[in-house]
Amino acid sequence: MDFLLLLISAGLVSGAAYGMIAMGFALIYKATGVVNFAQGELVMLTAYVAFSIAGAVDLGFWSLLAVTVPIAMAIGLTLERIFIRPMLGEPAFAIVMVTIGLAVILRGVTIMIWGPDPLDFAAGLSREVITLGPIPFYPAQLYAIGCLAILVGLAYGFLRYTRVGIAMRAVAANETAALLMGVSVKRIHAVAWSLSSAIAAVAGILFAANFKLGPDMWFQGLRSFPALILGGLDSLIGAAIGGLIIGVVETLAQGYLGQGLREIAGFVVIVVILMVRPYGLFGARDIERV
Amino acid sequence: MRTGHFKESYGELVALTDSSVTRAWVGLLVVALLLLPLVAGNYGLSLATAAMITVVGAVGLNLLTGMTGLISVGQSGFLAIGAYTNALLLADYKWPLLASLPASGIVAGVLSLLVGVPSLRLKGLYLAITTLAFAFIVNHVILYAEGLTHGPNGVFLPNASLLGIDVSRDRPLYFLVLAVTILVVLAVLNIKRTRIGRAFLAIRDHDIAARVMGVDLVRYKLLAFVISSFLVGIAGALLSLQIRFVNVDVFGLILSIEALAVIILGGLGSTAGAILGAVFLSMLPELIRIAFSTFGSTQSVTYTTYVYEIRGIAYGVVIVVFLRFKPDGLIGLWRDVRRYWTNWPLAY
Repeated sequence: MDFLLLLISAGLVSGAAYGMIAMGFALIYKATGVVNFAQGELVMLTAYVAFSIAGAVDLGFWSLLAVTVPIAMAIGLTLERIFIRPMLGEPAFAIVMVTIGLAVILRGVTIMIWGPDPLDFAAGLSREVITLGPIPFYPAQLYAIGCLAILVGLAYGFLRYTRVGIAMRAVAANETAALLMGVSVKRIHAVAWSLSSAIAAVAGILFAANFKLGPDMWFQGLRSFPALILGGLDSLIGAAIGGLIIGVVETLAQGYLGQGLREIAGFVVIVVILMVRPYGLFGARDIERV
Repeated sequence: MRTGHFKESYGELVALTDSSVTRAWVGLLVVALLLLPLVAGNYGLSLATAAMITVVGAVGLNLLTGMTGLISVGQSGFLAIGAYTNALLLADYKWPLLASLPASGIVAGVLSLLVGVPSLRLKGLYLAITTLAFAFIVNHVILYAEGLTHGPNGVFLPNASLLGIDVSRDRPLYFLVLAVTILVVLAVLNIKRTRIGRAFLAIRDHDIAARVMGVDLVRYKLLAFVISSFLVGIAGALLSLQIRFVNVDVFGLILSIEALAVIILGGLGSTAGAILGAVFLSMLPELIRIAFSTFGSTQSVTYTTYVYEIRGIAYGVVIVVFLRFKPDGLIGLWRDVRRYWTNWPLAY
């Protein structure tokens, strides 16, 4: 029983990371209709930026977050302006390919700046074990789950109550109609990219604090696809829940079915979901008519 | 007397080319490729071999993504399957190369049905993600099925020979790859002018309309997957013959992205474009290396330290720049240049 609880709690922690990364994907997909393949690279880049900030000034976790997030938003805005904005109106395939190209560029640049070796990054959190019931936790693990909950709350409030959030939902529902209603679609796209980078920064810092800060971190972006698909491509809250489920499924597969299954469990889930329910748990159903 | 440019029969309409100039240039190219081993050293020859292997793979991927419009980010998986099949059949089961080479293509083709079947329901992005998942699963199965694939240790290829000629040396391998490349290109060009090829194009342009016109979507989508994966599997087998040591690390995701970069750079849907793109991108690392070495020693050190990163950035920049400024790719650029000079000086 303790083994099961341990697996589930470990799964929830890695699932929280997947969930945060997948929320970044979902936000951009919702607003622009494009899967941003560079999301994992954004996570990695912002985590490295946070590492450099933490090396320069001694900050606690929340103040580090408060410094990094605006920088991440600026990075997101810049990338959108340079790479994505000129492609406005091109077919989705072309834009997705641009994000793939962007991903490779960001990956190379990050490694060339910070070097290929993994770094130790505590993100201003202590490393004393906290025990909840029978299960020991590192503070970073609890922060990851907590931050996921906060992000879900913020995303819900943002999309439901703020003017920009409602405009974003309008763009997601019908871009042309939103444009005719006076919504600046370009600005919504830019906002989506900057907010998505902000989410990436939170995810990156917590992932680095929990696991490691290395040049293969971009891979977490691809590892988060199962969460995104399970939640439904365009649902932020779905992505968060999908992340938690995928995290638990992965650790359970590893614990009970065998080593090595952890990496592919999520992808097997993807194939199954796409066969059975391609729009995921919470996604909008695309109905195609002739 | 024949005046102007017109066709008198259906056969002429679908002929590969009706221009004697094109025919002459292609003939010249083939002769030049046949004579290349006389002038090029071993290094140049292995570069040319690698470029032609890329051509085979790119032409295969182009059939799926460019012609049929099914985006696959998982062709590195089929490349791995082809390479491993060839390597294992040669090393562990002592098959002759004449049998193992087609077998690698066939195994990749048959396994592609595993992705092909879900693809019947999925389009665009979803398909891309499914194929991506497939590539991961392939790599992990190879890594963990140690009894069959030697797992993380990889496979060393023995000296293979074909019709009594040892193809582990550079020159015979070059000719083998050249022969396969010509066969593959001819095969794909000919597929394009049959009912099958037209069905692929119809599916790409509008699959529902294609179905209404009597194209069996299930059959032709699966066929596109099988043919494409067969060709990519063959490319994988040739790759294994060249690199002599097959390991999972060779078939990372970056390969799939490079492959997409190749066909975007060349011009989606065009076989000639795929060839141009493959040759250009295989030579790109070489160009970068030369560029860095001309700038002095400090730059060369930077280059050797970050060789993968710099190559990656170059690929990324090529993808982004071409999609932004020249979505038709190199072949579109070529058409523009040709049209410009045809109409010169009355450029429009």
